[in-house]
Amino acid sequence: MYLIKKNILVLFLLLTIIGCKKKDPDYVYEVNTEQVTKTGTNKTNLKTNLEFISICYSDLFGTTITNDKLIILSTAYESFGDKKLMGDIIIRNFLNTPGAQIPSKQFMTNDLNGFITNSYKKFYNRTPSEMELWSLKNIINTDTSITPEQLYYSFLTSNEYRFY
Amino acid sequence: MNRRKFLKQIGLASAGIVGAPYILPAGRLFAKTGARKVNHVVFCLYAGGVRNLESVHKTEGNLMRHTFSGNENISPDIIGGMELLPSPTGVPLQNFGTLFKEFRYAQGPTGHFNGHTTAITGVYTNTELNIRERPSSPTVFEYYRKHNSPSQSALNSWWISDSLGAYTALNYSKDLTYGPSYGANFIQPLSLLNFNSNNFTFQGHTALGNPKEFNVNEKNSINKIRSQMDGFFGGKYNGLDAGVVNNVQDAERLNAFIKDILSQANTGAYANPYGISASMNGDLYNMYFAEKVVQEFKPELMVVNMQSIDIGHSNHTSYCNNIRKADYALSRLWNTIQNTPGMANDTVLIVAPEIGRNLNTNTLMDSFGRYATDHTGDATSREIFCLVMGPSGVIKQNQVISSVTGESIDIIPTICDLLGYYSEIPMMYKARMGRILNEAYV
Repeated sequence: MYLIKKNILVLFLLLTIIGCKKKDPDYVYEVNTEQVTKTGTNKTNLKTNLEFISICYSDLFGTTITNDKLIILSTAYESFGDKKLMGDIIIRNFLNTPGAQIPSKQFMTNDLNGFITNSYKKFYNRTPSEMELWSLKNIINTDTSITPEQLYYSFLTSNEYRFY
Repeated sequence: MNRRKFLKQIGLASAGIVGAPYILPAGRLFAKTGARKVNHVVFCLYAGGVRNLESVHKTEGNLMRHTFSGNENISPDIIGGMELLPSPTGVPLQNFGTLFKEFRYAQGPTGHFNGHTTAITGVYTNTELNIRERPSSPTVFEYYRKHNSPSQSALNSWWISDSLGAYTALNYSKDLTYGPSYGANFIQPLSLLNFNSNNFTFQGHTALGNPKEFNVNEKNSINKIRSQMDGFFGGKYNGLDAGVVNNVQDAERLNAFIKDILSQANTGAYANPYGISASMNGDLYNMYFAEKVVQEFKPELMVVNMQSIDIGHSNHTSYCNNIRKADYALSRLWNTIQNTPGMANDTVLIVAPEIGRNLNTNTLMDSFGRYATDHTGDATSREIFCLVMGPSGVIKQNQVISSVTGESIDIIPTICDLLGYYSEIPMMYKARMGRILNEAYV
């Protein structure tokens, strides 16, 4: 009987010791506040007609457009109400003009990462985000018919290219 | 007959009864109001400042023999300055409609751009009109594209101007409830073609005539790439910046149209497209390309202007000569409309100068000893004419109204009424416009 009582007491003390545990601190897991923005949102200034044409020419030909040519093209640009359409016609004429510096497809596929990154720098004046890089690579790898010319044309006719 | 079949037949019959009155033989739906009088309206601004003295009052003889009846001889002292133009082959145009001989540009500065803005918006302007901005009142194109039912694409409305500068801004207004989404296609053909008036050459083809063409698969790939790029970018190039927007199919047609006129220019087809003895001026060219738009797109609403007449500031005899050229160009436009299936006998053509010119001359004398005239706001510079021509079932034929009747601001409400959507325009806009020219209606 004594032994039973003693064991019960020991068990009680043991449970009391084990049960008295330091309370866990209240951890709060947080992340830093980050402003999420789309790429290129700092570009809010629209290029003027002259800027759009002359920058486009420089990007494709690596040289400055002549004044005569700039006047002809800017006048034509003014003379039609749908600016997207006229811009498109001007760019497609540039692409068909001898001297347009468009790399070969092999050059593009040899180093796709580098090609895309350099294209972003060339046309958008910035590097692509990881997501942009991955997405564009994915499109090009999926559709092997895509050429550097099509890629350049896409850059030149995109919304971002109209802004700086 | 079971219940389901019965209800289906009843439904179809009801839809037919409701819809049938709105369907034209061509299969096109009328506006909901059912008030369309014609399906096409062309408004020709016989602009550059034309005095009634030289037009309807014929003080220099009948300078507009294709338009107005009468064989009054041209003043002998300036006849040497008149170039040879084809003689009228049919009856004068006034036979096909109603001539308001004493129309008025009653308010606002008598400037060309003020006159154009008033004519295209139906609202008088004031001295605060900013030539670097779009009009504050909606244009006739915006009323058409917003209120016409069913709504039509921009391919159905055109503003064909002889000049760039401020005139490029007249295809839509800065009114936020209208704007570019409802604007018209704008074209200034000679600038697009880069016309050199010194040697009558066109350089546009050199710069724009050889575009890279992508096939369908290539276009699909490009669209995929560009959609991704645009998706990542926060901004958008559209709205007031990008001008009027055409859908993909319409843009393809416009692209083909531009390519064709550039190609034609390169072959020399535009050196003397009318094959006339007189030299081509800006008005004749502008009308030539307006005819091309009529033939290619059969627009429901088109506005075209001519302004070479404004040489009247410095040379009265050339002013008279250019009135004659504009008269010939107008007859060409009318004939093209009447020879274009879909527009023939279903088009109202409205003609009016934007402003007149002063009664008194300035100090510049031409080689025929005639003094020139400006337009600085005297009573004579507000006197213009208006000719409304159209199908005999719609427009009173060979009617002349000689009393002071009608104003510049009446033309737009009349166009809206002819095309059947005037009643749809909110009262706050209608209140600023003039009235419908009912006198011209049958």
